[in-house]
Amino acid sequence: MRIFNPTFGMAAAGGPAVSLKPVNWATDAIALISNSKPNARELLEGMRERLGATRKIDNIEFHAKNSASQPAPKDLIEAVAKKYRAALLALGD
Amino acid sequence: MKDIAEQEVIDIGDMDVEAFNELAAEQGWSDGMPLYVPTEEKVAKFVETVRGDNRPYPPVPPRQIVPTLQSMAANAVMAGCKPEYFPVVAAALRSTLDPEFNLHGTLATTHSCAPMVMVSGPIRQELGINCGSNCFGQGWRSNATIGRALGLMLLNIAGAKPGEMDRSTQGNPAKYTFCFGENQEENPWTPYHVQRGFAATDNVVTVMSGEGPHNLNDHGSTTGDGLLTTFAGGMANPGANTIYGKGPMFVIIGPEHAATLKRDGFTIESIRDELYVRSRVHLSRISKGNLDTYESTGHKPEGDWLRIARNPQDIHITVAGGPGKHSAFIPSFGGTAVTCTRIG
Repeated sequence: MRIFNPTFGMAAAGGPAVSLKPVNWATDAIALISNSKPNARELLEGMRERLGATRKIDNIEFHAKNSASQPAPKDLIEAVAKKYRAALLALGD
Repeated sequence: MKDIAEQEVIDIGDMDVEAFNELAAEQGWSDGMPLYVPTEEKVAKFVETVRGDNRPYPPVPPRQIVPTLQSMAANAVMAGCKPEYFPVVAAALRSTLDPEFNLHGTLATTHSCAPMVMVSGPIRQELGINCGSNCFGQGWRSNATIGRALGLMLLNIAGAKPGEMDRSTQGNPAKYTFCFGENQEENPWTPYHVQRGFAATDNVVTVMSGEGPHNLNDHGSTTGDGLLTTFAGGMANPGANTIYGKGPMFVIIGPEHAATLKRDGFTIESIRDELYVRSRVHLSRISKGNLDTYESTGHKPEGDWLRIARNPQDIHITVAGGPGKHSAFIPSFGGTAVTCTRIG
């Protein structure tokens, strides 16, 4: 007996091509992005402080989605992509 | 040989239904209840019912794959649908894929939301969809299996596996199934799909990512104004997502309550206006910690009150159910929209 696979699907066509370059964690600009739920900001503040023990942190900056339940706005994604070499996301709850 | 997850068609040999259910459980295809076997023959009968609909489906989040009609139909077969239900199931999935519905957020959230499916139009009678007594409950194959089929598609196609991508803290029985029909015949106002711009003769499916129905019991009020006081009190819930994750909500009015409101001159618009004004939560019912969170995310109180809706249009109104003095409030996930799709 042959059945159709209920999970089957095709890969979406036309997705953006992404070219990843290595991040230099010792010097590169980093975005710290909160999902805007409680404790996400505190988690990111702790990470920035820990990073400060080994590198300069004046180019490590905080950002937040305006709603935990919605995707990040396109303009935020574009701004982060333009300015930073890496982004660390915190999912508070 | 391809991994089973990559195969469109799988040869399962001489497996009986019990063995198939074991396989389905192992593969993570099951909602926990027994499944029908999605054989090639059964799936073909379902796919035949939607041959006229050639609009492509977008990628389904969070898994981001484009479903085939066959994989969608396989879930409808497994749910126990009849082939003629499949156009409703397919329209319901398409409705959840409207970007405003925010399917990714509604599936990945810790909130308990599940897709509420409401069917409008003549197809309700053709398919035997219950719009009357116990319309949110058990007993009707079409209600039970159409909602279940959508749940299975979100599990298997979207990838919303409980505890993995579906992060709901407690879940909700509506994740098994939540489908009903509008009681257009006892709606003294305009049917919901006509409110949304469809023709009365159109068959339409409406979806909202919501909680289960919260009862609005009022046996004592003999006026529409009294009923709205009860409705607003039931909606003013400090534990509802919509108190800070603003979004839509449904008030499904029972036919007897609807008749009283109509007799007293209320319209859909005036009911919305009244409920918007009255459904608010006093700050004495909100903890300081919660209020701090709401304010930090832009949800400021008005004086000593927090409103449950952003505007009257957030409050969607229709009629369903049978005899009795009950109505229902269904709050949504919040960051979502009520979306409608014509069937077929």
